[in-house]
Amino acid sequence: MNLPFIGWHGVIVIVAYALTILGSTLYLATRGVKRNSLSGFYLANKGLGPLLLFFTLFSTQYSGNTVIGYPANAYRIGFAWWQSVPYMVLVIAGYLLFAPRLYVVSKKYGFVTPSDWFDKRFNSKAVTLVATLLMTYGLLNYLLEQLVATGQAISGLTAGVIPYIYGVLFLLAMMLVYVSMGGLKAVAFADFINGVVILTGVLGFLFLAWTNFGSLSSATQNLVATAPQKVEVPPIQTSINWISMYILVGIGAAVYPQAIQRIYAADSEMTLKKSLLRMAWMPFLTTGIVFVIGIIGTQAFPGLSKMQSEQLVGMMANVIAGKSAFHYWFMMLVFCGVIAAIQSTTDSVVLTLSSVLSNDIYGKFIKPNADEAEKVRWGKIVGVILVFLLLLVAWKPPATLVEIFTLKFEVLIQVAPAFLLGLYWKGLSKTGVLLGMLSGAVLAGGLTFSGIKTLWGWHGGVLGLALNIVVSVIFSLLFPDKKEEQERAEQAYSWVVRD
Amino acid sequence: MKQVREPVRVKWIWPVLVAIILLGVPWYLPQGSIEPIILGFPYWAFISVVMTIALSFFLGYVILNWWSMESLLDEDSEKNRAGGGQK
Repeated sequence: MNLPFIGWHGVIVIVAYALTILGSTLYLATRGVKRNSLSGFYLANKGLGPLLLFFTLFSTQYSGNTVIGYPANAYRIGFAWWQSVPYMVLVIAGYLLFAPRLYVVSKKYGFVTPSDWFDKRFNSKAVTLVATLLMTYGLLNYLLEQLVATGQAISGLTAGVIPYIYGVLFLLAMMLVYVSMGGLKAVAFADFINGVVILTGVLGFLFLAWTNFGSLSSATQNLVATAPQKVEVPPIQTSINWISMYILVGIGAAVYPQAIQRIYAADSEMTLKKSLLRMAWMPFLTTGIVFVIGIIGTQAFPGLSKMQSEQLVGMMANVIAGKSAFHYWFMMLVFCGVIAAIQSTTDSVVLTLSSVLSNDIYGKFIKPNADEAEKVRWGKIVGVILVFLLLLVAWKPPATLVEIFTLKFEVLIQVAPAFLLGLYWKGLSKTGVLLGMLSGAVLAGGLTFSGIKTLWGWHGGVLGLALNIVVSVIFSLLFPDKKEEQERAEQAYSWVVRD
Repeated sequence: MKQVREPVRVKWIWPVLVAIILLGVPWYLPQGSIEPIILGFPYWAFISVVMTIALSFFLGYVILNWWSMESLLDEDSEKNRAGGGQK
């Protein structure tokens, strides 16, 4: 996104915005945080109320890619990109498959990370290790993507006044301060401010795009005449791809480690229910709105190539900003919205990564008898080191944003059967779930690395998940756990079943 | 004791959900057709919009009416007042 009109104003706004977030978060959301306790630090003492839980779910789920990459997708694909709204709604259906049970189980046993469930249910170092490594890999990829996005956004938005790496370093440093001072409470509070800015920016941008470039109807009429394939009922392959995306995102985004931790962090079931209820409508206000912006863009800037279309939002913003001082400053707010969307995803991923490092890698494998304060400290220090190592990788950013977006799902989604089957079927054995995760990850990763994004319209991650489930079930039947192990595993959740 | 309700164990929810999902994808409509255009959406995308709204409503209905499990924790803590099970 290039906004050459902004320059130094953009620099001032970015600095002011980051300082506002940092200041208000430090002032309002770091007091009373238990920094010596895993649950106190990483889960806000399991006390997030409806407002903060909703906003942290919302802001974490929608990243900078939603604001910049999605309108470009709508521009290129046309009306078939409406799928981005239902697939985001389906994340809630994904939650319904396991969250109600996992919530009560997590409260009873005091879980902090997703791996705590693996530990409790399968009681196997190998299973916990593989799941933890898969999640760490996915989280690192995810974080890398956010760092690249931060750098591109800042250098694009300030027309290169702030070079890529300084922009990332600055925002990252601000973020690390409030994350390490306040843990999830601070992240959720920052997510609240960021969420409000994202929503205001996106809604305002739609209004201005609509009034400046013409309505959705006129853009559609124009497409019918110029690019009918973007308006027609798409071929069956696209429909399959659409359904594949439903599974990939619906299940994948629900089992993100940071998403699972938000289930743990809710202060009550009612809070969790209220937040998910609202989340079921948010795709209309986010992916739905940016979809319409992308379609309007087809009339405003026809005939862009793939790489040019990635700049669509910036091009539209440039024209709008030239209209008046009000338009100019409103575009500045949109620009904060982009930064807000990236930052609110990044801080959550950093915190979750740190919790996996401290609670799982250090606390389960390196030094199980360490006290909680030591584990938290270890997670913070190694987390910061990893973030800076990633920053070195982020210096050379890969191609377009959307292609990296699917990559993290491919791996993270492979932990799903341990929840979707493991919470309900005592027969799911250590061997089954272990081989399932490995085979799924190998297939999904292999397809991705060999450049095959989809086979007959199905995404690599979904094919990996299907193989994962089949292997999990077959090997659980062939190599079941011992009877007493099954009974012990069942005790983790059997108390919730009352028939 | 408060009634315990868990969405996964309510069988009818899932076929209804799948039906809403599948009706929102244009696999069953004639490829290449566009008209009529409703509120700026070609008819098939408009159907998808309507089905997405139905999906959000349905998920909201399920969350509010078929999910209630927290009472299990109260009972549990009453049973094990001393233990609690927290880390």
